[in-house]
Amino acid sequence: MVLVKAKRDELLGPLSAVSGIIERRHTLPILSNVLIDRGAKALSFLATDIEIQITSGTPLEQSGEAHAVTVGARKLVDILRALPDGAEVTLQQQDKRMLVKAGKSRFSLQTLPAEDFPRLSKPAGEVTRFSLEQKTLRRLLGLVQYAMAQQDIRYYLNGLLMLVEDRQLKLVATDGHRLAFASMALEVDLPRQEVIVPRKTVIELSKLLADTEDEVRIELSATQAALSFGSVELVSKLVDGKFPDYTRVIPTQHKNTLTLDREVLRQALLRAAILSNEKFRGVRWVLSDGSLKIVSSNAEQEEAQEELEVTYSGDSLDIGFNVNYLLDVLNNVPGRSVECSFGDSSSSALVTYPSEQNFKYVVMPMRI
Amino acid sequence: MSAARRIAHLDMDAYYASVELLRRPELRGLPLVIGGGRGLARLADYSGRGVITTATYEARAFGLRSGMSLARAAALCPQAVLLPADFDEYRRVSRLFKAAVARIAPQIEDRGIDEIFIELSAHGGDEREAARSIKAAVREATGLSCSIGVAPNKLLAKIASELDKPDGLTMIEEGDLAPRIWPLPANRINGIGPKAGEKLAALGIRSIGELAAADRALLMRRFGAGTGAWLHDAAHGRDERALVTEREPKSISRETTFERDLHPRRDREALSAIFTRLCEKLAEDLRRKGYRGRSVGIKLRYDNFQTLTRDRTLESHTDDARAIRRAAGECLRRAPLERRLRLLGVRVGSLAAAGEAADLFG
Repeated sequence: MVLVKAKRDELLGPLSAVSGIIERRHTLPILSNVLIDRGAKALSFLATDIEIQITSGTPLEQSGEAHAVTVGARKLVDILRALPDGAEVTLQQQDKRMLVKAGKSRFSLQTLPAEDFPRLSKPAGEVTRFSLEQKTLRRLLGLVQYAMAQQDIRYYLNGLLMLVEDRQLKLVATDGHRLAFASMALEVDLPRQEVIVPRKTVIELSKLLADTEDEVRIELSATQAALSFGSVELVSKLVDGKFPDYTRVIPTQHKNTLTLDREVLRQALLRAAILSNEKFRGVRWVLSDGSLKIVSSNAEQEEAQEELEVTYSGDSLDIGFNVNYLLDVLNNVPGRSVECSFGDSSSSALVTYPSEQNFKYVVMPMRI
Repeated sequence: MSAARRIAHLDMDAYYASVELLRRPELRGLPLVIGGGRGLARLADYSGRGVITTATYEARAFGLRSGMSLARAAALCPQAVLLPADFDEYRRVSRLFKAAVARIAPQIEDRGIDEIFIELSAHGGDEREAARSIKAAVREATGLSCSIGVAPNKLLAKIASELDKPDGLTMIEEGDLAPRIWPLPANRINGIGPKAGEKLAALGIRSIGELAAADRALLMRRFGAGTGAWLHDAAHGRDERALVTEREPKSISRETTFERDLHPRRDREALSAIFTRLCEKLAEDLRRKGYRGRSVGIKLRYDNFQTLTRDRTLESHTDDARAIRRAAGECLRRAPLERRLRLLGVRVGSLAAAGEAADLFG
């Protein structure tokens, strides 16, 4: 029974979109498979790791009988990639095998029944629905996602806070040492909704969102999120936990402020970082009237110093930071200049961008 | 989804001695023990008071064991070769083998220089294959062999890794408890030491099976509720402890037993030099591990084996050898110094990870 006959690229596109989340090693063998679902007018691929599920389809011209089967995703991707561009590919079920045919190439893959494939249900119960442009969400995620924790025992930090309140969408990511916040106005009034989207979902989403004005429709319930855009539908479980109160740690009273050219600062930090301690990555900021010195030294007592002329008339300060936390924000958030403000040497610093009014980055100092 | 847990325990075979043999292949096949303080020597020529830290399998054939005094070992096997320990090298090789394992199975609990627990649950069904590739990777990275036990939990995995040493691979399933674990002596359970062993023996309990068959209430009466229940659970192979993949040490210490007992006043200079050296080593340890401490303590053992500790708290965290030496010196002045000393140790506690950025929500 022929499932589909199509150009290689028409299959490879949606298949690659879904197969990124498949874990290499899994306790359930069927999870390394992709579900191929032949509907009346479309063919869709579906992959899951139990936490996230992605579906992506391609419309079909010929109508056919509905049928579904699962095969090893990685092998199918590898086979399709290795076929020549523009090859005509036939996927065909024969007994318990799936045949992949193209030109004079034939592959026979083992299958597992589609009925056994685990599926995530769409968000149910009280669901908040809204939509925005794909490129807007993509940009917003880019402003904050690098600050998410990774495998932290505080599991609720291994994700992104997505908060709908006061006609705004707010995104917050933190690993407990630094925090990134971004927001945007929503056109509709929605009830307050607060969810934590798992790290893996956020990263996958950033990869899949396109730089277009086409919309992404978002549905949030207390336990699941669904995002649909283009031919992709992504359903994800949410992190069940309480995100810390981020409003408490964004400073509002810092008076010691200076404005720097982002690229000049970034280059100076990159150079200073070379001689910072490999493990702790500390750099000292020594601020005095009209001058910022960035100083670092490593375990071998080698030292680097960068001096920047700045307009600064605040308190003299000597404050240490993990240089990676500073480079993260400068690398990920574009803009001509950045504004840094400080309290004293033991309080957090605030990084903002004149060109990004709805973005804030907070970083804690380190003792050096 | 609750798949069956599969935990591996990896134990390097005769670790220190094996690392030495990598560098000195000409000693291969000879009984070799690591311990003592000076260069390569014949055990018969050793006159100090050190103990064996590792014995090769060849040396074990003569009854030599780690922890045994070198004097006693020399009586049992005078022809054995003695080498001093080179911990810097053992740590270097340790990092190599752990990195090799982490490339295959990243969830690892570090149990010290030569053993780790490894989470294999995600390898569902083919843990034997995973364990084999881990053994191969360790051998490729270090040239050394290890023994692995794979079991549903840490307790059984640790027992299993001992069953087929050296270069072993032992798989333990739920059903293997009675035939393979119960016949073993009770002290194979990690946590049953000589004292508990004696107490069990007094109750007529020698094997793990006998412990499993013992009355739980009786064990709880004899050993206290917590320990008694644990003993009984352990004998039944029950252990729910999770892997601790991030371990924060509570304190870091260094100590040394002197070649001969030193008198605090008459050997003041020698003692002071050793003391300073200990503090320098300790400061190096702190920096290497990335910690600073706020409390400094000393440990003294007198010639009559009486042991005493003194502590003090500093104003701020430090990893500076001089600051540690100063604080340790103050501790020493608070200790009685009439008797000769056998051992001196320095400890830094109340540790904070150095150089880590402060906590936003702290």
